[in-house]
Amino acid sequence: MMVLTGYAVLNLLARAVGGYADLPRQDPVSIHEARIEQLRGFLPPAGEVGYVTTVENEKIFAAERAFRNVEYLAQYVLTQYTLAPLIVRNSPAHPLVVGNFLDGPPPPGFLERHRLVPLKDFGEGLILYGREPGR
Amino acid sequence: MIFFSVASLLLAWMIGLLITWIFFPAGKEKAAGILLRLAAAGGLGIGVTSCGYFVCLLAGLARFTPLFDLALCLALGLVWWRRRRRSGARGPDAAAGRTPAGSFLEKLIAALSAGGLAAYAVSFAAAFLKEPHGRWDAWLIWNMHARFLYRGGERWRDAFASGLDWSHWDYPLLLPLSAARGWTYAGGESVLFPALLGFVFTLLVLGLLLGALWLLRGRTQGCLAAMVLMGTPFFLTMGAAQFADIPFAFFMLGTFVMLFLSERSPDHRAGALILAGVAAALGAWTKNEGLLFALVVTVSLAGMAAHAGGWSASFKQTGRFLAGALPVLLIVVYFKARLSPANDIMEGVSLAAVSANLVDWGRYTEIARAFFFTGISFTQGVVDVREGMRFNPGAVSVLLLVAYLLISGVRIDRQERECFLQAGAILVLMLTGYFFVYVVTPLDLHWHLMTSLNRLFLQLWPSAVFLAFMAAGIPGQRAPAQGAPAAASPQAKGSPARGKAARKRKDSK
Repeated sequence: MMVLTGYAVLNLLARAVGGYADLPRQDPVSIHEARIEQLRGFLPPAGEVGYVTTVENEKIFAAERAFRNVEYLAQYVLTQYTLAPLIVRNSPAHPLVVGNFLDGPPPPGFLERHRLVPLKDFGEGLILYGREPGR
Repeated sequence: MIFFSVASLLLAWMIGLLITWIFFPAGKEKAAGILLRLAAAGGLGIGVTSCGYFVCLLAGLARFTPLFDLALCLALGLVWWRRRRRSGARGPDAAAGRTPAGSFLEKLIAALSAGGLAAYAVSFAAAFLKEPHGRWDAWLIWNMHARFLYRGGERWRDAFASGLDWSHWDYPLLLPLSAARGWTYAGGESVLFPALLGFVFTLLVLGLLLGALWLLRGRTQGCLAAMVLMGTPFFLTMGAAQFADIPFAFFMLGTFVMLFLSERSPDHRAGALILAGVAAALGAWTKNEGLLFALVVTVSLAGMAAHAGGWSASFKQTGRFLAGALPVLLIVVYFKARLSPANDIMEGVSLAAVSANLVDWGRYTEIARAFFFTGISFTQGVVDVREGMRFNPGAVSVLLLVAYLLISGVRIDRQERECFLQAGAILVLMLTGYFFVYVVTPLDLHWHLMTSLNRLFLQLWPSAVFLAFMAAGIPGQRAPAQGAPAAASPQAKGSPARGKAARKRKDSK
């Protein structure tokens, strides 16, 4: 019993120490958080904003449920995690919309269809949009 | 900043200590008793102060939480001091046994366990450096909720009506409130504090397991059990991941330990049962599964007590348990009734869908298969959803416990038979409950199993390890264990004269 559990504990330690050298300087969540933090000065402290990304909004959760892609959902959740208590809706139908395009541009015509115009480009695929009033 | 957050934990610990002293007075405790008390107090204190913080939030007095905690600490201190004066200068003698010197092998096992703990702490630190915000559910649920509660100010309630269903706003608040409470003490957020909470709860589970088994079965059994837990990769992963599963595992284990202590310590039966009630209710304040746990413990306690001593004994014991649970359960009920949105599983359930799922035998097969593979493999770590369920038992698994029990044999004393039956019934009923939640779930069954079943098993794992080592025969057992309370030591348990005296005292109450 002692040998087996001791082996298991040392195995964990070896993996932890072995993996230490490969650790990035900053973890992915902190990197994403620093990116999204730039938005804060341009957004209201409370209330709601919209969200758009590389795929249409309804595909964010569907891709995760089908085990196809968790990145879109992770990026959306981390945007909300960073901007709390501001509510980030998974929808383009808001006066202010966060565009998070880490994995590529939105589908062709998507922004135009939802009348989203860029207000500020923060670089690295992060863009704040405003919504033009409907005609 | 982190200094004040740590101060919030220390004050919580003090409150927990006072609660355990009030309901389970201390005598001349030695290492095992002190360790058990410190571990139990740590978790209970964090849980109780999270309830206090919730009350402060409701009253709009969150910024006065440190004052509230201090007042609670002083009030409990006063109660403890008065009780102590009334019962004499000392509590009941908890140090009846001599301290055995221990053989070379025992000392070696203790030394290896200490080394294992150091190695475990290093592994934990490395896991934290890799993911300081924790894993998926930490920032999707627990730490996200903490941020809303802390940053929301006067409008903290808005988050519950936000419609962000994917963040599961119906989940209980012990962990988010504890993080927010620490930030309130510090006057600002730190990513370190939720990680520290994860580390503290992981250590508390280890300390509680080691302390309880050391007290009830001897130091070697305690050390071996702690090594089993430390050698469980998934236990480390989930502790560092900052999920609520390890805190919930703590409260489950705490409930089992208190139930056994109530059986072993007739003089303090009422206090131990009250503390078991507090622990079970705090489990319900940690995770939704805790509601099932609190119900199952109440029913099994009532049933076993009725079977052993009739309905009068059953009412008395269940009443004590509920007296401990009720204050916390009232907070849980308030939260569920007034703030929490509907649960995603319950919301999607319709009678027709449940009926259809209940007679879909294919679901039973899929769930049973998942239970089998996960039951054998869950200790190894997170399931790779792309690979699916597969056989992966590793060095530490359920099979190791089974092998240990086969080699050491099972020795359950007559006095403890009911307690084991009760504990076994609780575990079986919990597993049955989980099984049927999967049968009726409106969520995609495969997705639901893959993303949750291994964590459900992990919640039960420390309790299962505790029960296995409680049941294991101890070759060449010496008695009593160090620091064991008079009625809780293996010597007392094995002594017919003491057993009779204890039963007499019990009957006369």
